[in-house]
Amino acid sequence: MKAPCRVLSIQSHVVRGYVGNKSATFPLQVLGFEVDSINSVQFSNHTGYAHWKGQVLTADELNVLYEGIKLNKVNHYDYILTGYSRDTSFLETVVDIIQELKKANPSLVYVCDPVMGDHGAMYVPENLLPVYRDKVVPLADILTPNQFEAELLTGRKVNTQEDAFEVMDLLHKMGPETVVLTSSDLPSKKGDQFLVALGSQKIVKPDGSKTSQKICMDIPKVDAVFVGTGDLFAAMLLAWTHHHPKDLKAACEKTVSVMHHVIKRTITYANEMAGPGKRPSPAQLELRMVQSKADIENPAIVVEAKVLHKSSQ
Amino acid sequence: MECRVLSIQSHVVRGYVGNKSASFPLQVLGFEVDSINSVQFSNHTGYSHWKGQVLTADELHVLYEGIKLNNVHQYDYVLTGYTRDTSFLEMVVDIVQELKRANPNLVYVCDPVLGDHGSMYVPQNLYPVYKNKVVPVADIITPNQFEADLRISLTDSLLGDRFLVSLGSQRQVRPDGSRATQRVRIEVPKVDAVFVGTGDLFAAMLLAWTHHYPNDLKMACEKTFSVMHHVIQRTISYAHELAGPGRRPSPPQLELRMVQSKADIEDPAIVTEATVIS
Repeated sequence: MKAPCRVLSIQSHVVRGYVGNKSATFPLQVLGFEVDSINSVQFSNHTGYAHWKGQVLTADELNVLYEGIKLNKVNHYDYILTGYSRDTSFLETVVDIIQELKKANPSLVYVCDPVMGDHGAMYVPENLLPVYRDKVVPLADILTPNQFEAELLTGRKVNTQEDAFEVMDLLHKMGPETVVLTSSDLPSKKGDQFLVALGSQKIVKPDGSKTSQKICMDIPKVDAVFVGTGDLFAAMLLAWTHHHPKDLKAACEKTVSVMHHVIKRTITYANEMAGPGKRPSPAQLELRMVQSKADIENPAIVVEAKVLHKSSQ
Repeated sequence: MECRVLSIQSHVVRGYVGNKSASFPLQVLGFEVDSINSVQFSNHTGYSHWKGQVLTADELHVLYEGIKLNNVHQYDYVLTGYTRDTSFLEMVVDIVQELKRANPNLVYVCDPVLGDHGSMYVPQNLYPVYKNKVVPVADIITPNQFEADLRISLTDSLLGDRFLVSLGSQRQVRPDGSRATQRVRIEVPKVDAVFVGTGDLFAAMLLAWTHHYPNDLKMACEKTFSVMHHVIQRTISYAHELAGPGRRPSPPQLELRMVQSKADIEDPAIVTEATVIS
């Protein structure tokens, strides 16, 4: 990558394991991106372990860090990446920072994972929803909600694939040109060992011409609870849409393929560690990130995205 | 290779010092790196401005407690660098001692950052803590001449004044039980610029290469110094490009070209030979 590409990632830090910035930073760096990282918390490990301890960054402290960057006149970024947040004032400060960075660089791309919940239940405070809906999503360029988060943001239920694309169109109207529904309850044509992910891109160029693409992917399910995979997904979607800015199919195939390789390596190792017949622990299920470097650099495509619709005017 | 490092160093949002300097290269070489950030600053303190927050000794202890409660406090290496706080440093010593009880084979790589060129740039009261508590639990230390407190005059490089001299010494126990000391000497080309984070990169890479060459200090040093050379050369070239002809590069422009040096980090071409002295 010739032109230095600088990402500002505002996510959690864990001493041990791979979530938030720990999950996003190494893969992006391996792909040649400069990653500036603001750690929104520092915890010993993710909250799926039996115990976790640490400290959180306040909205004021976030502002102070950004001020330092600004005073040195190095507040120029090509991408911003955000994920899990529990605090409305923190999220609102993130919004202010993004608005300012977009003024400094109008070409800036904001990749937003609107983490709120899954499988019908919220796992962040409810008062984050209006902040995401009214302030964050309008600034986003690339959005990676799961089905539940897409339903929350648009107030519409998804029962069919048609519903899903209608909801994604509503999300486009709210802001982001690229929306990837990272998982859904929709039935897969390949059977119940697969989940359906959908992608939609609607680009309006400065000259008024439009391109749009809708894709569908059947992703093999894995029987385990992984943590940090959503963070890895958003980071890798950032990377691969950077290399394939108008080809959502290619970007998603690479992203989903990386996920597959990392997850397979992880579950194999976890089962080895746990021993036959035993369910692996959270510690054993930490993503095998550094071991997956080669797959991150050059992912063999293992999932094909089907193009459902493509047009340019 | 299943090798886990606990690195307790600074974090900067932008740039490469402390954990930012050490983590990526170690991960690229396949090490699992658990990192405790002793501070979070916008950037290193060589810029015109810097802002951020520090971790207290209590907060450090709380993080360690979390790791311990989950029974995952097993490490092969501990790595520490720049600290400004005696109570923080003393907490680090307690943690290292406990980790060594959990794994007697643990190797503690310590950069005793105190100062350079004749003056201290940390509070003076850190010196007795390093001397009496930290260094005794260290297995590998990477002092500069000032930190080592040598009372000899500067050694001149045989290659002239565009080189500086580095020395290494390793005490070994041979298979037959007898003891030996390997001493090496390296002539390192000087570069006319002030880099920040290079000491942190050096300690991390010495950890990696002594891991691969535990009984061959000559080889470990050659690899380590060679990586440094490649990263520094790439950095200074880029910095001069950005600054323009005849202008001295600024601190932001001089940030190490870390991600761009991935291939050199993975497999450093040897550019400097160490001489075995004894």
